[in-house]
Amino acid sequence: MSTRRVLFNGVWKAFRRGQRHDSLRDLLPSLVRRAFGRSRQVDDNVFWALKGIDFEVHAGEALGIVGRNGAGKSTILKLLTRILKPTRGSCTVIGRSGALIEIAAGFHPDLTGRENVYLQGAIMGMRRTEITARFDDIIEFAGIERFVDTQVKRYSSGMNARLGFSIAAHLNPDVLLIDEVLSVGDLAFQEKCQARMKRFRDDGVAIVFVSHHLPAVAQLCNKVLLLDQGEPVRLGAPAEVIAEYCSGSRASDEQDVAITARLRRNDTERPDYLFDVVPGEQLNLDVKIEFRSDVLQATVGVVVWDLAIERYVYGASSDFVGVPPIRARRGDLRTFSFTFDANLTRGLYAIEVNVVDTDRHRFLGIARGITHFQVVEHISYDGVANLYLVGREGASVHDLRQAQPAVGR
Amino acid sequence: MLRDDLREMVHEQLDFRELLYQLTARDLLLRYKQTAMGFAWAVLMPLMNTAIFSVVFMRVAPVQTRVPYPLFAFCGLLVWNFTASALRFSVTSLTTNTNLVTKVYFPREIFPFSAVAVSFVDYAVAATALVAMMIYYGVAPTAAILLLPTIVAIHAMFTAALALLLAMANLFYRDVKYLFDVFLTVWMFASAVVYPVDGIGGWAGALIRANPMTGIVEAYRSVLLYGTTPEPIAFGWTTALTLILLPAAWLLFHRCEFRFAENI
Repeated sequence: MSTRRVLFNGVWKAFRRGQRHDSLRDLLPSLVRRAFGRSRQVDDNVFWALKGIDFEVHAGEALGIVGRNGAGKSTILKLLTRILKPTRGSCTVIGRSGALIEIAAGFHPDLTGRENVYLQGAIMGMRRTEITARFDDIIEFAGIERFVDTQVKRYSSGMNARLGFSIAAHLNPDVLLIDEVLSVGDLAFQEKCQARMKRFRDDGVAIVFVSHHLPAVAQLCNKVLLLDQGEPVRLGAPAEVIAEYCSGSRASDEQDVAITARLRRNDTERPDYLFDVVPGEQLNLDVKIEFRSDVLQATVGVVVWDLAIERYVYGASSDFVGVPPIRARRGDLRTFSFTFDANLTRGLYAIEVNVVDTDRHRFLGIARGITHFQVVEHISYDGVANLYLVGREGASVHDLRQAQPAVGR
Repeated sequence: MLRDDLREMVHEQLDFRELLYQLTARDLLLRYKQTAMGFAWAVLMPLMNTAIFSVVFMRVAPVQTRVPYPLFAFCGLLVWNFTASALRFSVTSLTTNTNLVTKVYFPREIFPFSAVAVSFVDYAVAATALVAMMIYYGVAPTAAILLLPTIVAIHAMFTAALALLLAMANLFYRDVKYLFDVFLTVWMFASAVVYPVDGIGGWAGALIRANPMTGIVEAYRSVLLYGTTPEPIAFGWTTALTLILLPAAWLLFHRCEFRFAENI
């Protein structure tokens, strides 16, 4: 009974790497080279951004696409919006499609908010009468009533993004394509956006949602596709696919150690795949290491990665914290316990545990994403570290002009 | 295949006619906001050029024209200016909108088309000055003026065809913009814009007569200033060329469109 809206059928997409002829200066020599048959293998320059992707989305369904940077997520959206064409396979969108991609892309800084709404609306394929009918709702949703006739260049970046999303949120699409929009605005606005997207889905719109913000993906989508370097790793229920993504690349088999680790709150244990903590909470990390060879001197390293931006957030090693160098024999099982404070801002973090042979200066084993946790907070901090900013207002002087009449004009 | 493409091209333009209007309105509005004189520039530019060429071709190297020289030159410059400014805008119309070309889908033809539309508004504004000059010099139109809409249509279509080709060419090779600047100057002097083509013979004369812009400029002068129908061979050639060139250029543009985002 549900209608198919998006069909991605064995899609491959290649990009040419390097060597693009932006000017005739580059073109002429390359033509000459080609004419004399000295051109190199074309295959050297081809880069496959997508390798055989299949999925379909029905009306009222939401598909989430997750993966690390460069996995091909944005390429899929560009294929769906018809900006790119697949190299092989086919990509079909049935019905009117709306895209929340780079939502303020069409804004012109010198035009007012009102003028930009009409322009951007037209870019998204709305008619003037439609825009006029929804104009007040758009402005109200964005919360910029007082600045409608102000030039957009005077807007803050948050206002810009809110207005952009608001226009897109008032489209009337059959298929909605969303790319990373939730990173804009404050928490209240983000929640408003999520509620709006859920309503779209419940109204029978087919949604394709690309995001690094995994909790939002888990909330909105009924199925999730995990990509890795253009290859489909897994397509399935959100919880299991996200768990697989979080666990990252498992330890490789050539390792000299087997590492297991578990994150524990002070008292209670929660094996939940999204381990929620509040900023500043103390966490315990229990590490078990099984040695498969003799080691004279080793240390255990603990690294925290921000999964959304794939940034190295923190790294420390057992010798920093007073654990004596580890000497072990083949077959030994050793346990360590670490504690740390999650002085982090909202986001999803992965823990890596590694073992280094400090005698021979090499890794005995690295376990990336061995466990993970999510920091949840209700105030919207930016950045990675939580520095616990506090503040108050100091003494003030009122009306400087009266205090110093000689200064200025 | 061809029929599908043609149907899609027309459909897309109809679906996105609102955007064509909005982009055109945006550019006009911006110019009006950003410049002190706004639309007055549309009238002033050809007037100033007319003054300069009037000195050259009335005092320095006098030429014979059937109507007073300033009227002759203004008509030519006005017509030429529309094509020249439309093409100058459209050459960079895709490359200056990289953000939109790589991020949002809509028919890309809209960029060069809106450049042509913006110039057309200027052209219409400037044409009021031609009416004023015709009254001043006492030149009354005859029934031949009924052909004017046809000539305007051919002129606009010819310009749009070149606009599509140039915008696309500049996207792939940025040199096009510079080459085209040089070419425009040469082209103007090869188009009978500021002097009559009658007395010129030899290869230069043949070249000027084969130039489609000569046919367009002369056709305007015939129906507006001389009160006669356009010279059939010259205007017929231009019309035929336009009717082939526009669909061909549009089809080529449409088929290359999906490569734009990767190559910009």
